[in-house]
Amino acid sequence: MNVEVSRRKFLQGSVALTVIGGSSVGFTSLMADEEKKKGTSSQEIPTLCEMCVNKCAAIAKVENGIVTKLDPNPRFPKSKNMLCPRGVAGIHAMYDPDRLKYPMVRVGKRGEGKFKRVTWDEAYEAILNGTDKFPGLAKILDEEKDNRSCIGYCAGEGMAEHTYKTFMADKFGSSNFVNHASICLQTTVSGYALTIGSYGQADLENANYVIMAGANRAEAILTPDTMDLFKRTRGRGATLICVDPRYTNTAMQADEWLAINVGTDLAFVLALTYVVMTEGLYNIDFVENMMNGFDVYRLHILENKYTPEWAEKITGISADKIRKTARDFMAAAPRAIYYQGRRTAWSSHDFQLRRAQAIFSALGGGIDVKGGIVFGKGVPLGKHEVNAPMYANAESRIDSKEAKLVGSTGTWIGFRNMIAEKRTPYPMRGMFVYKQNPMLSVPNTAKTKKMFENMDLVVTIDTMPSDTVMMADVVLPECSYLEREDPVKSFGGVQPAIALRQKVIDPLYESKPVIDILRGLTQKISKPLFEITKKYDEDVQDELKERKEAEVYKEDGFDLVDAFEKSQEEINEHMVVSKHGKEAYELLKKHGVYYPNMEKYFKQLSANEYEYYPEDKKAYTVSKWRKGAVIDIDTCVNEKEIAALQKKLNTSSGRVECVLGYMTKKGVDAMPTWHDTYLVPIPEGKFKFVSGRHAQFTQNSTQNNIMLLDQVKENHLWINAKDAEKKGIRFGDLVEVESKIGKVQIKAYPTNKIIPGVVFFIHGFGAQSTGLTFGYRNGASDNAIIEDRIEPVFGSAAMHETIVDVRRVS
Amino acid sequence: MNYAMVLDYQNCINCKACEVACKEQNGVQLGADKQRIWVSTYENSIFGNPFVAFHPSQCNHCVDAPCVSVCPTGASYFAEGGLVMANKDKCILCKGCMEACPYDARFVDDKYVAVDKCTFCFDTRISKGETTTACQATCPTKVRLFGDLDDEKGELVQLLKKRKFFVLKESEGTVPKLFYLFPEKDTSFAENSIGKGTTIHTWESYKPVIDKAVAMRRKS
Repeated sequence: MNVEVSRRKFLQGSVALTVIGGSSVGFTSLMADEEKKKGTSSQEIPTLCEMCVNKCAAIAKVENGIVTKLDPNPRFPKSKNMLCPRGVAGIHAMYDPDRLKYPMVRVGKRGEGKFKRVTWDEAYEAILNGTDKFPGLAKILDEEKDNRSCIGYCAGEGMAEHTYKTFMADKFGSSNFVNHASICLQTTVSGYALTIGSYGQADLENANYVIMAGANRAEAILTPDTMDLFKRTRGRGATLICVDPRYTNTAMQADEWLAINVGTDLAFVLALTYVVMTEGLYNIDFVENMMNGFDVYRLHILENKYTPEWAEKITGISADKIRKTARDFMAAAPRAIYYQGRRTAWSSHDFQLRRAQAIFSALGGGIDVKGGIVFGKGVPLGKHEVNAPMYANAESRIDSKEAKLVGSTGTWIGFRNMIAEKRTPYPMRGMFVYKQNPMLSVPNTAKTKKMFENMDLVVTIDTMPSDTVMMADVVLPECSYLEREDPVKSFGGVQPAIALRQKVIDPLYESKPVIDILRGLTQKISKPLFEITKKYDEDVQDELKERKEAEVYKEDGFDLVDAFEKSQEEINEHMVVSKHGKEAYELLKKHGVYYPNMEKYFKQLSANEYEYYPEDKKAYTVSKWRKGAVIDIDTCVNEKEIAALQKKLNTSSGRVECVLGYMTKKGVDAMPTWHDTYLVPIPEGKFKFVSGRHAQFTQNSTQNNIMLLDQVKENHLWINAKDAEKKGIRFGDLVEVESKIGKVQIKAYPTNKIIPGVVFFIHGFGAQSTGLTFGYRNGASDNAIIEDRIEPVFGSAAMHETIVDVRRVS
Repeated sequence: MNYAMVLDYQNCINCKACEVACKEQNGVQLGADKQRIWVSTYENSIFGNPFVAFHPSQCNHCVDAPCVSVCPTGASYFAEGGLVMANKDKCILCKGCMEACPYDARFVDDKYVAVDKCTFCFDTRISKGETTTACQATCPTKVRLFGDLDDEKGELVQLLKKRKFFVLKESEGTVPKLFYLFPEKDTSFAENSIGKGTTIHTWESYKPVIDKAVAMRRKS
């Protein structure tokens, strides 16, 4: 067999990590004999992973109070009996020696990294009344006349994000929230939602043809997509077409790799659509019954002459391949999917790209049917009510004019730049940061730093001393996901289920779950802040003329503590029991997962496979019939006809929206249209920079994880082998990558797995925080060089439009 | 009892969940060169196009294991179910086994100052009632299946009866027990990811090889 064994050390670096020592398990297996003597204490506790956003079900093995292993929990239909490398390495996130262990307040200059250990009460006191280094909330809100929005807040994706928002938005009353959406899948979610009614879920377990463009499910693991797809490609049921400037592991697993020029996907999709329109390959009944504005769109495609030959010149993909892809897709439809994708906006026209993808998918009828884009259903949960006060002086969000349609999750770049450039409509005095690291995750790190420098009070809640924590005035240590119970969550889909993140061990050090942190904080600040409201809020002043103060404070929600009085465990029990009864809650606690009839439906099929729902109970098709629909299912003889039944989608017309007329008023194309300006040329000798993910790292949150660094020591710059040769760059050479906004140094990896004129490195390295022993200055950070270009519709970050120089560092 | 592993290597996406699970489960020393299991990456260029294949691998627990015969102290030995084990207390670190192993499946564990290797998780899982190894259980695309070659009705033998397979470096005569399923639905991948001259086996063709080697071992 032709295997070069030394390749297994490939890209891992030849120098072994200097830390010699096993994992925590090595330590505990030493204790095994001790345990035998004492009598062993061993437990298995089901929980949910938080190493990335997937929330896979895990079973934590706890021996004598130490978590020794994380195994997959086979009961969860979303994660289907697997735990990826990050999930398994969660132990090292919890036992990371660099973790934030106790509250701290800043004693040095902002960003200098000098902190003092304080008690929780002292930390809350510093937030309320400041120190000699920074002002507190009381002073700031007094100066801003109770404009609660002068304190912004952000959060990374997570199950307790809602708890934090309950505090910041509902109780504290700030409207300035930014989260991951605008540096993540905002344009894709909106593009699909406005076109077919929902982002949906690609039914990769049953699709027969999948176009996966830019998305990289073999490396950027998403459950259940990754597990469903890669057992079925290459002759085993599903044809996978991978469209990417890089030959990723997804390309390796695909039936065909179409190397595309960066930022030209829209031209590719429009040409696919052209082929389908001219050759009449679309599902005629579906178009008739389910598409709104089809004729206009068809004419638009034909008149603009989006021919495969036209697209070939732009995309670099041959006209023949485009034709074949369009024909094969429609032949497999409705079990054919143009995969939605995730991560970020790549280009400034990303919203139009996602719309074009959704319409193309719909032309085959693969919407709300098995093997297409499905919507699934949910398992209901009870409600947890919050009594939210009204603040008359709280202004609306600052960044709503930074893009055409800024939603409640904001535009990170727009928001950040306004503060950094001091052009906010009212002073933005401070920020609460929960579980997010904008210093590394938002393009143009220098500007993010400037934003924090322009603020008076920065509070961070995190588990690790990230680059952002270094910018804080007050640092509140949250415990890791294995040390807390989070809000119970219902996971909708074809096979819906409720899953619970249970506490595995008690919080280490002085760390706490966010709900406990907020309980302590609100106990400290609630009454003093109400005094400020009384001073400036005319509505409250009017109320106080007629009602007792204690009554207004309590009944109108100004008592900030009331939202956090109950423990997370109590809230969860109520939410489950109120809908499904006590027995369901017991099952959920025992198995980590619950859905109606689980005990009847769930069974093991083989050593590796489980069944969650019988086939006839899976929610492939969920849409309601449209009013007056003519339904005669019995006469439907094939899947193409079933796909075309008159259902009501969650769009304004109830059909697939080809034309969004109201968008033209905002200056946005009503239909996906290619403009020549979209093609950003690469100057001779320069490169377009693209970024991405891999299976061993989650954004920048895992960069200090010793077990994952053991797998991937640092990131490398992918550069086409011929480009590298021209520049005299060889494997391992240190190169400097410079854009308009910054430069980084990184080792080179010349390869034929990337097209010429494009360079790439993985996101998630290059931390500058001295608090991270292993992450500090390890590899390069992409956002130090990615320009802050805003996608104009939703204000997302267009991350693949940066041009860079690459030179060898002598 | 004759423990073995089937690998549907066409499924592998090189996510390294198996490697991490192995290290966590078995307390394997950190370090890129300290691996009980690994995924080999084979890269080539075919008519200018990239070609990549992943070969997840580990100790083959050979029936005729050269690491056992070469060991001067008995540290390398056959344990229950034909498992090739390394007793760390008996190891004098002569590294003869590392030289003898055709698969580079052994390394020096600096914590114990002894040779370390894959145990099919026998000590940490199988002997405690688990039916899967850590690498198998955690895998997103379920590349591996652990089982018993003596159990004709078991899933492992049933799979080998259904699918063609090959073993690594068969000519070394070690009678290895990692069975790589032949990617019959992707002939191009098969052609480019399997070494020239590799024998593609069926259960009928390989079973006698195992039986003969097992009989030989019992005799000696």
